[in-house]
Amino acid sequence: MDFNPCMKHKVVRKAVRMFAEAELGPIAHDIDRDARFPREVVEKMRPLNFFGLQAPKAYGGAEIDTISYAIVIEEISRISAAVGLCLTVHNSVGIYPIVSFGTEEQKKRFLPAMTGGERIGAFCLTEANAGSDADGVETVAVRDGNDYVINGTKIFVTNGGVCGTALIFAVTDTQNPQRSAGVFIVEKGNPGFAVGEIEDLCGMRANPVSSLFLEECRVPETNLLGCPGDGLKIGLATLDAGRIGIAAQALGLAQAAFEDSVRYSKERQQFKKAISSFQTIQNYLADMATEIDAARLLLYRACAVRDAGRPFGAEAAMAKLYCSATATRVTNTAVQIHGGYGYSKEYDVERYFRDAKVTEIYEGTSEVQRMVISRAVLARRT
Amino acid sequence: MLKMVVCIKQVPMVSELPWDPATGTLQRDLAEGMMNPACRSALDAALRIKETEGGEITAITMGPPMAEEVLREAIALGADRGVLLTDRKMAGADTSVTSNTLARAIEKACSGFELVLYGFSTSDSETAQVGPQLAEELDIPGVAYVDEIEVSEGTVRMRRISDHFLETLEMDLPGIVTVTTGHYAPRHVPLGGLQAAFAAANIVSLDAAAVGLDPEWIGAKGSATKIRNVYSPTAGKKNIVLTGAPKRIVEQLFERFDDKIGGAIGKDLKTDKNSK
Repeated sequence: MDFNPCMKHKVVRKAVRMFAEAELGPIAHDIDRDARFPREVVEKMRPLNFFGLQAPKAYGGAEIDTISYAIVIEEISRISAAVGLCLTVHNSVGIYPIVSFGTEEQKKRFLPAMTGGERIGAFCLTEANAGSDADGVETVAVRDGNDYVINGTKIFVTNGGVCGTALIFAVTDTQNPQRSAGVFIVEKGNPGFAVGEIEDLCGMRANPVSSLFLEECRVPETNLLGCPGDGLKIGLATLDAGRIGIAAQALGLAQAAFEDSVRYSKERQQFKKAISSFQTIQNYLADMATEIDAARLLLYRACAVRDAGRPFGAEAAMAKLYCSATATRVTNTAVQIHGGYGYSKEYDVERYFRDAKVTEIYEGTSEVQRMVISRAVLARRT
Repeated sequence: MLKMVVCIKQVPMVSELPWDPATGTLQRDLAEGMMNPACRSALDAALRIKETEGGEITAITMGPPMAEEVLREAIALGADRGVLLTDRKMAGADTSVTSNTLARAIEKACSGFELVLYGFSTSDSETAQVGPQLAEELDIPGVAYVDEIEVSEGTVRMRRISDHFLETLEMDLPGIVTVTTGHYAPRHVPLGGLQAAFAAANIVSLDAAAVGLDPEWIGAKGSATKIRNVYSPTAGKKNIVLTGAPKRIVEQLFERFDDKIGGAIGKDLKTDKNSK
């Protein structure tokens, strides 16, 4: 067992950190304040393979390993979690289902534009009455000749406002939703497919999270991933992969909040001393450092299990549960260490604090992660 | 096909430079390494020549085994192969010995080289000596502090700003050029390139014996330069409190700082006062 990062992972981290600090650092605060999606940075990311991280080379991807993938998301999120969110959703739940469940024809047709960043991906499961409960999905895809006609409304779609390729979770038989769920690939410009209003959210404000409307949206049957009834299987496998990305995003946020807290505690003077000389602050920093380290080890373990080709669902759920909890705790303590300034929009910790909470909610709430973990634990022989 | 050699150096990462405030020295063993910024510009110059004129790029570096990182990075950016010069005996070399070591290694590992590109200076020592000395060691012409470079048919044309003049120079090949950070903006590393550079890259590692170096003329042993001390310059400041009536305070202000105030407003206050 070797806990030292290999040379490749060190170089990947440095390369992404250098990019993130140079290109996102100067605008991270403003894009959050203005709720603006930074297209100019996306243009710079495209030739650097940020939009095809793990996709096969044959379809324009970089084919990096999962630990490298986590490092990329972690380092981008350390500077802007909203941009990290765009990347992880695009790469994991946008591209991954097509790579894993698509036919050769579908891969050739859809992947190159996505891995090149020309079309940003989104995965649309959540509806007004469905989320954690995938059976509650009311979007319907009705077979009509060689086509499917889709009707329904998806909400809280990450990347919704900018997506070029959306994977729509819909049922083909309302009487039997579980057995008839399917994932349909719908591209921007398809008649009947429209983007709703951008959500006004607490955090991740630079990501245009929106509703998507499907009204008599007709797609050929060749846009269905797998068969009708494969939806749940595809959804669950996709979410396993997606959780690694969200865990990495949460970890990046925690890391940023921790670094800011260390720096501030050394600078901030009270009672004629740097506040880092007080035991209370030292205890805060020690707990933050310990939790971040534990979170990072859990995450990289999940990545390594995935790279080894073994089932990693429970490991990914543990990493996601712990990394997101760490992010909310660490960002909360970071605001506390910064005192009144931490509550001010002048400092970044306030943004980290707002951004962190949703990592406990999306891609499976913490409660759902515990369900996944407990099922695995109870299935094991004691 | 133009054969280019780009010499690169791994230097401590500026943003994470661990500095020991007690001794005022750099804690090099704790520092993460990165490619020296001017070396990035030299590599970018080579890549642009390769993109327009074609050619082959060999990246060469001397340093601890960890310096392999910058070779992989150079290959990810578009270099064709890497040469790592690493040997504990090479440690502590001054600029003269470094340029000798590099020259012998280039002759050994990059035969038929035409254009050697070099960062004009490194961010960790700032001597700007190794590039020009390398020209001497290789016995080829060299031009330092070049901002922009073009190659056509065995000739390089270079532009540089020298003493506020823009110079355009031409040089026959083989030759060496040291490149500034003025024109060539460092590129970001593509992740696919990085994956490929780690999956399969053409990197050779050479020690002092493999290069065939004279044992008396390597590392700290062969170096005439001895660094006695490296420290952080400190700037002191002290407060001056001017007392008295407002008129007196203003008079004192002018007595003490008339040069600086005059400089700021572009007026010689001394002459002004005397003429009154």
